[in-house]
Amino acid sequence: MIYGDKNLGVIVQNITGRQGTFHTELMNAYAREVGGRGVVAGVAPGKAGREVHGVPVYNTVKEALAEHDATASVVFVPAGAAGDAVMEAAHAGIELAVVITEHIPVHDAMLAIAYAKLHDCTVIGPNCPGLLSPGECKLGIMPAHLATRGEVGVVSRSGTLTYEVVDELTRAGIGQSTVVGIGGDPVIGQTFVDVLARFEEDPHTKAVVVIGEVGGNLEEEGVRSTDLPVVTYIAGVSAPPEKRMGHAGAIIEGGEGDARSKVRRLRARNIPVASRPSEIPGLIREVL
Amino acid sequence: MKLLEYEAKRIFSGYGIPVPKGVLIREPEEVAAHLPGLGDGVVLKAQVDVGGRGKAGGVLFADDASAVLTARELFSREIKGVPVGEILVEEQLPIEHEYYVSIAVDRSSRQPVVLFADAGGVEIEKMAKEDESAVRRVVVSPLLRDIPPFLMRELLGGAPKELAPVINSLYHIFQEKDAMLAEVNPLVTTPQGVYAADAKLIVDDNALARQGIAVNRDLSEREREAEKHGFSYVELDGSIGVIGNGAGLTMSTLDLIEYHNGRAANFLDVGGGAEQERVMHAVRLVASMPDVAVIVVNLLGGITRCDEVAKGIIAAGVAPPVIVRMAGTNEEEGRRLLAECGYRMLESMDAAVKAAMEVVS
Repeated sequence: MIYGDKNLGVIVQNITGRQGTFHTELMNAYAREVGGRGVVAGVAPGKAGREVHGVPVYNTVKEALAEHDATASVVFVPAGAAGDAVMEAAHAGIELAVVITEHIPVHDAMLAIAYAKLHDCTVIGPNCPGLLSPGECKLGIMPAHLATRGEVGVVSRSGTLTYEVVDELTRAGIGQSTVVGIGGDPVIGQTFVDVLARFEEDPHTKAVVVIGEVGGNLEEEGVRSTDLPVVTYIAGVSAPPEKRMGHAGAIIEGGEGDARSKVRRLRARNIPVASRPSEIPGLIREVL
Repeated sequence: MKLLEYEAKRIFSGYGIPVPKGVLIREPEEVAAHLPGLGDGVVLKAQVDVGGRGKAGGVLFADDASAVLTARELFSREIKGVPVGEILVEEQLPIEHEYYVSIAVDRSSRQPVVLFADAGGVEIEKMAKEDESAVRRVVVSPLLRDIPPFLMRELLGGAPKELAPVINSLYHIFQEKDAMLAEVNPLVTTPQGVYAADAKLIVDDNALARQGIAVNRDLSEREREAEKHGFSYVELDGSIGVIGNGAGLTMSTLDLIEYHNGRAANFLDVGGGAEQERVMHAVRLVASMPDVAVIVVNLLGGITRCDEVAKGIIAAGVAPPVIVRMAGTNEEEGRRLLAECGYRMLESMDAAVKAAMEVVS
């Protein structure tokens, strides 16, 4: 419940799009199942007055919030306009924007995240599956049936790989407190550090699975920042070396963005690193 | 997508950053006509997308007498395996000092980061590793139009103030051209002023359309074909074909193959919505690689329609065996369809990869 519970009121931006419509229904099916509020309003410019699966549609976030009590938004707006949609949400008073859209230009992401911060709006994503607190709330597109409520937090840069790990945990009888997909893009709103800080404050979370990927060094930054027991998995150890991005990338990351050296550095800190997803439940049992 | 040096320099020039006088040639003989305008000595630079170009023999110096011969020599070379089709011929600058400047995306702070070093040149990376203080760095809020003077002072330290407007113009280019990286190495001072002696610009692949770039040159023809279907695709050199949904899960499948001492033939992420037609195209694309002996399909998602996926695999009708692991809706129907046509569907990715290993060993 690190970003919200049953009482969280949610809006969906671009609710009339194919993805927006489909996932609004799934999010509300989950809300009905757990007795939560779910999606209370939708936004689609020029389409005010319609309904999507019984949810009223407004032209702007501001108009939606004038009629409904909501603090979170799930953004399904197409890439070219998604940055603007996040800024609109932040400006209107949304406190948490979960951005599912992929292929957003990185400069748009930087701008939107910086602007949202000015308005005290937390951004998860872009290019992420959203978050799920089993038994409480679901924002985004995660398949809820794979998860069970429990004490292990999951934070991941990947989408489907997260489902794989959640499935493994559930099958092994290990429930999850909250599952967060932070997104695979170079620039994302919430990084491992931010999510781990919330897990640390969360009385329901006793350990965390950190699922990383090749590129950057945010996994390490996150693991270093927390006192919680952590198990990690890094995808991409077999990936061929990426095309070199000039000197700057190498200088910033110290030439250490590849998965193998990440794994090496994590193990050097005595952090358990799973060699494959199916090893994660066993490693979690050891740290709990 | 990475721009070539001459393309980047045209953009730099448009933003008022001085670049050496130069011409682009495609035949050695073209150089002669341009020599009078370029001064006594010239430098010939192969326009190839290769790191460490200078060390690999892609940059040659010449005078008026030797220019044509030198151009001929450079056109005949391959730079790290890349043939030379275009050469940028430039005046030689009377360099006083070389600096390094670049602007990149800082994942950690989610903001542009500007890097500056008092000593530019080819050894910058090594130098940065040995002495962290050799490279100064400032992050700039993306909400700002310019690098504010106080940050510029911090960045430059004791370096000449004349560099500031050039670095600020580079920041404008970084913002307006959707750059992932804008780099000048070296940025040089001469008695005539400051020049960008080299130029590197990488444009965000997600912004190519709005930058008016129609074709991503960084992709091979097959990769472009894959992109048309919405796949992200990389060819490797093993014999186990891989199709997954989501980059992380697909990468993880590749890692698992390596864990079992196998070698993957490719990376193919079908993306969201694995409908019949997409799956069919993906299976056919992977099967079209000559070395593929078996294909592992690993699809997971709440909304993946397993019956659709099964129909796509069956419709592809490829020769190599296809081993399937999938979870989603209509799983039983998918399993039944696959079994009817002799395909195996397994419960876990571990099991699927092991089964594929048995085929190739």
